[in-house]
Amino acid sequence: MKINKSLIRKEILSEYRNNSSLFLITPTMCVLIIVFPILAENRFAIDEDLFIITQILFLILFSTLFSIRNPINHRSLTRELNFAYIKKSEYFLGKISSEFLIYFPQILLFSILFSVVTNSNVKTNIFTFILTLVFFSINTVMVNIIFQMFTSFNNRFVQFILIVPIYMALSFFIAPIWLGVNLELINIYLLLYLGITIVIYSYTRFYLERGKL
Amino acid sequence: MNNIFFQANELTLGYGNEIVIKDLYLTLDKSKNYEIIGKNGAGKTTLLDFISYNFDGNSFDSEYVNEDIDVLEISHAPTLLPNLTLSENAIYFTSSINIDDEIINSTIEKYNLSSYKEDELKNFSSGMIKRAELAIADMKKPDVLCIDEPLNYLDKQGVEHLQNLINERTLKNKCNVLSSQETSGLMENKETVNLDED
Repeated sequence: MKINKSLIRKEILSEYRNNSSLFLITPTMCVLIIVFPILAENRFAIDEDLFIITQILFLILFSTLFSIRNPINHRSLTRELNFAYIKKSEYFLGKISSEFLIYFPQILLFSILFSVVTNSNVKTNIFTFILTLVFFSINTVMVNIIFQMFTSFNNRFVQFILIVPIYMALSFFIAPIWLGVNLELINIYLLLYLGITIVIYSYTRFYLERGKL
Repeated sequence: MNNIFFQANELTLGYGNEIVIKDLYLTLDKSKNYEIIGKNGAGKTTLLDFISYNFDGNSFDSEYVNEDIDVLEISHAPTLLPNLTLSENAIYFTSSINIDDEIINSTIEKYNLSSYKEDELKNFSSGMIKRAELAIADMKKPDVLCIDEPLNYLDKQGVEHLQNLINERTLKNKCNVLSSQETSGLMENKETVNLDED
């Protein structure tokens, strides 16, 4: 399993210069997060019961906007990879890594910012909190790339409609942990999440390697 | 020695149910030069894309043998990435074969692109992008180099660079496949594939 560093560098540079997330989606989400408690309760604090569900809703909204920001064009991707002698399986791994590096710091920052402006917090320790965000990020990034590489839903609306339920399902594993279930249940949920991540990743790699793509 | 890298009998290619090329017999040798000629819509680009693994249409279950070798295509549309600089593009597109920075720099200089090395490709003219693609092809030295409409966008100096690249490759017995409406005059010893003939 080899990670192509040039590919990750290229993706991050393209993202930085393309400005599709950093200059549009991220500031918009920041504003939404900041104005939300004022709109909901007219103060920088919200009810504890509302906190987790709205935070997860913001995560799903941000993930969806992030996913549909820059659709992959199959034709130009094939040309690019053939010109660079890069296999699709290698691209898949590199793209996951680069998207994770772009996405994770933002989602972590949003979660912290949301806690700060709403004066509420999740009922779990910092380690578990970051671990759940890591799992959520890897899975959303992977699902997004699989969607774009293996389907021809180049219409952003269709992509939006189909991808949201998957992100909702992925967030269902986070909710109980953040709501503060006991340690044994946290371990079970985290293991389930790890299992899902491994299954999605392995199946896609197997599919790409088998087809020598 | 068997140098054949592509062989097809009754090759039929198209998009959806529309057939562009029908029952084509084609054998390509790794050490020869080829020129695909034909009028508009004859299927030159389709055939070139097929040879270089970039075809995304329908091959109607045609039987063909395609050896897994390094094939590079310079198509009519730019392949390089507009948001990266020329040197970043060169590093990315040569990353899989580990080329020294010195070779990258000297090749960029050879194609008179040194002063644009740190400029983003989106600010380049079409001719300069094509010249940059030729430079990267020169760095990578693929077994087979396919160029669609080779003379498009190139100025006199660009055509000279292209001619030199083809001559160097021909001397090393490497295959070049060009496609254009009429013969380009870039290769002396070549076989012609005329898609206008029935």
